[in-house]
Amino acid sequence: MAASAQISRLHPIISPPLASRKPLISFSRFSPSFRCLSSPLSLSRPKTLTKPSYRNRVRASIRKLSESESIPIAKVPEDLDASIPAAAGVYGVFDANGELQFVGISRNIASSVDKHRKTVPADLCFSVKVGPADTATATATATADRTVLQSAWKSWVEEHISATGKPPSGNLQGNYTWTGAPPDLRLTPGRHVSLTVPLEDLIDRLVKEHKVVAFIKGSRRAPQCGFSQKVVGLLESHGVDFVCVDVLDEEHNFGLREKLKSYSNWPTFPQVFAGGELVGGCDIISDLAEKGELKAILQK
Amino acid sequence: MASRAANVVLSRANRMRQTLQSALEASVLEIEDVSYQHAGHAGVKGDANETHFNVKIVSSKFEGQNLVKRHRVVYDLLADELKSGLHALSIVAKTPKEIGS
Repeated sequence: MAASAQISRLHPIISPPLASRKPLISFSRFSPSFRCLSSPLSLSRPKTLTKPSYRNRVRASIRKLSESESIPIAKVPEDLDASIPAAAGVYGVFDANGELQFVGISRNIASSVDKHRKTVPADLCFSVKVGPADTATATATATADRTVLQSAWKSWVEEHISATGKPPSGNLQGNYTWTGAPPDLRLTPGRHVSLTVPLEDLIDRLVKEHKVVAFIKGSRRAPQCGFSQKVVGLLESHGVDFVCVDVLDEEHNFGLREKLKSYSNWPTFPQVFAGGELVGGCDIISDLAEKGELKAILQK
Repeated sequence: MASRAANVVLSRANRMRQTLQSALEASVLEIEDVSYQHAGHAGVKGDANETHFNVKIVSSKFEGQNLVKRHRVVYDLLADELKSGLHALSIVAKTPKEIGS
């Protein structure tokens, strides 16, 4: 497969320095986005950034993946600061065999690598190569342009695809090893806000906006029912890229439990939707998994 | 045919058996009350009494129906039970061909 075709199917992942789980009804998942940043990039571009020469200067200063030296990831926090810059840029994490597992971009590479070190198994997170964005040429008000970082990410991934024929496994859709699972979706901001559209419309929009949605009892990390837990487990173990909605959350999803039963004409939970249509509950999902058809049905 | 008064006394499992058997003419119909396995989990108000069942049905009426359709047929037949405290069903719905009989 051509490198560009492979890239468009990736889920470009930004490693946030701090993971702030804000409730979101929908978010774009098909382009690199800084949605989880604690200090969001200012969206109004200073005039200097639009000059092509500036962009070319910054892009040229992010070195290639193959030209960067490999920095081992220390086991102890103290060693980290010295070798890995706390700057914005692109980085690649290698496992103990020297294979590239993940390429990410970040506003603070050192902090992102530290987060991986704490959450990812040590044999996957062994050494890192960094490509800090050179901000020496930036003006006082400008930080590394978002698009510059995105194109640096793309070029590192393309470099890897040309060398090996496939993208790093940590960047594939449905792989949450490096970024954590997406937060559970909420239909409303809370009971204090009255609905301006019927709940059924919200449900309809939600299942059509996201490829795979699982309505479960409890949260993704803490399901409160054995059937829901089984479904979450099956979807994750098959590497399905999906979001969850907690039907027991009376604060953000008030009335969902009853409304969804009539919307889908299905009286029980969990309920898994793919491509806007009900696939079924735990029994059907388990059955599909046993037959080896699960991923095909959900990700067609 | 059991009278209405007798139905009230019959357990949920038996009511389900009557309904499913007459509608689906099942060659195999197994109903198991597993409510005790779910006692105390979220969403089960009060006692876990006749709330969760495993149902296995083999019926030629399922021919040509996909899984979602078969489950919906069963759910529709048991609509009254679902409104009156039946909480969850684990359904295995197969045709005689599929189980190789």
